[in-house]
Amino acid sequence: MSDYQLIIIGAGLSGLAAGIRAARFGKKTLIVDQHYRPGGLNSYYKFQGHLLETGLHAITNFAPPTRKKAPLNLLFRQLQLSRRDFPVREQLGSEIAFPAGSLHFANDPDLLQAEVERLFPACGEAFHQLRRAIAAHDPFASAPWRSARSFVASYLKEPLLENMLFLPLMLYGNAEENDMALSQFVIMFRAVFEEGLFRPEADMRAFLDLLVDQYEGFGGTIRYRAEVEKILIKNDRAYGIRLADGSSYTAEALLSTAGLPETIRISGWQTPSATYSGKMSFTETISLLPNAVRSSIRQDRTLIFYSSSDQFSYRRPQTLQDSSWGVICFPDNFEGIPHKEFFPIRVTNPASYPLWRALDSETYAQEKTACRRAAVQASERYTGPYGQAIVHQDSFTPLTIERFTRKAEGAVYGSPIKIPDGKTPWSNLFIAGTDQGYLGIVGSMLSGISIVNRHLLD
Amino acid sequence: MNRNEIRDVLLEIIADIDEEADFAALDDHKPLRDQLDLDSMDFLDIVMELRKRYKLQIPEDEYPELATLSSCVNYLEPKLRHI
Repeated sequence: MSDYQLIIIGAGLSGLAAGIRAARFGKKTLIVDQHYRPGGLNSYYKFQGHLLETGLHAITNFAPPTRKKAPLNLLFRQLQLSRRDFPVREQLGSEIAFPAGSLHFANDPDLLQAEVERLFPACGEAFHQLRRAIAAHDPFASAPWRSARSFVASYLKEPLLENMLFLPLMLYGNAEENDMALSQFVIMFRAVFEEGLFRPEADMRAFLDLLVDQYEGFGGTIRYRAEVEKILIKNDRAYGIRLADGSSYTAEALLSTAGLPETIRISGWQTPSATYSGKMSFTETISLLPNAVRSSIRQDRTLIFYSSSDQFSYRRPQTLQDSSWGVICFPDNFEGIPHKEFFPIRVTNPASYPLWRALDSETYAQEKTACRRAAVQASERYTGPYGQAIVHQDSFTPLTIERFTRKAEGAVYGSPIKIPDGKTPWSNLFIAGTDQGYLGIVGSMLSGISIVNRHLLD
Repeated sequence: MNRNEIRDVLLEIIADIDEEADFAALDDHKPLRDQLDLDSMDFLDIVMELRKRYKLQIPEDEYPELATLSSCVNYLEPKLRHI
């Protein structure tokens, strides 16, 4: 008799969603996480008395409660949560800024259509055709990898517009360098441009509390500060986990949301781990500013995706941080979020994990400071000046991401190769989350749900 | 359970799954999925809920029996008669 019917590694969003599904239907479930709080990539921390969120800038896949088939509402039904317990706030509007011009978009796809027609008068009809093709494409059908770059180019034939559309979609969910799988592109296009962006009215902590409460309400158990050292395997089956503190638990089935490289490492899976190590990682600089500064900076945008060159290539930089492209997030710029005494600006830029890894601790601290300065300077071109007014500032690097989330090399979007069916060489060990293939908050939760539905409810 | 009781249980389960479900215009002889705008994942929940409540195993190839409210009742009546 095993201790649990199901053990889930990771209390991030995919692990919590999977846990709720399993516990809801009576599976005796244990979730373990190395950290002392839930959330994984999308969590929060206290800094100088302020609660700061990590991960999400905005949640994609906005839908009103009445659009029942929308992924967000399906997700809530599957977790038996009420949209009424989850008030949300829509984005004010966002922008893709390139030297040649800017495209404005919001939770209304017609606005983006009009913006494309304004900036690229010759491309209006082609963009409309592209949207129709995206709507008709089934990204969940199993199909070989197809280039999204070629697909989009075949419609638009306008490299600048293509780059502008790819910037936010790659930045918010592409594990590959240079190109993107067509299926992933379609999912992201719908999630960001057709459905749109929002955030919970409350903070990330409240959302995570809601999920943990639901899970525990269904009888699930969660253990923090529980670092999995090894997945225990005998013959062709996994039978439990051993933790770093020496304790172990047995289970009839296991689900790992730790990402493929980490799952490979702790299970002893004989496969080259490097194949599954994503190269895209990021630094993020979070600056807290007094409310009085609002008047001198951009206030009507939630996100500004920027590139200081009309050429845009999505790849790991040759330097610690590439400030020439990235995304600026105003976490308080959503409809109806009241102004507080301070407000944050977050700037995210691509970064190189191996270069950060190679630094000694003193140089690491110096470079972190230098990169913060560079990120703020690069962003001020789009936001207006704020560098002099910063009250508190913090930042994270690819090493920070790896340490707190176990995502190998700080690759927030995981492996460039996904495992859509969640299967491993062991018949009762599955993977969910980023490396199963769905990304973002809504995506990762649907990943946890779909793998449990498919393999773990019997 | 008799047919009416089974029908009530089904509506209760669906209402539990979907707080937006509107039963006012529900036709017992038309597909539930179209009328309530539900996903196949929601249907899995009906099956799982029946299993949880009545230890009822419904094999996947019999899911089509659950297409309409009246076909559900027909299918479940012999299985739930003694409950």
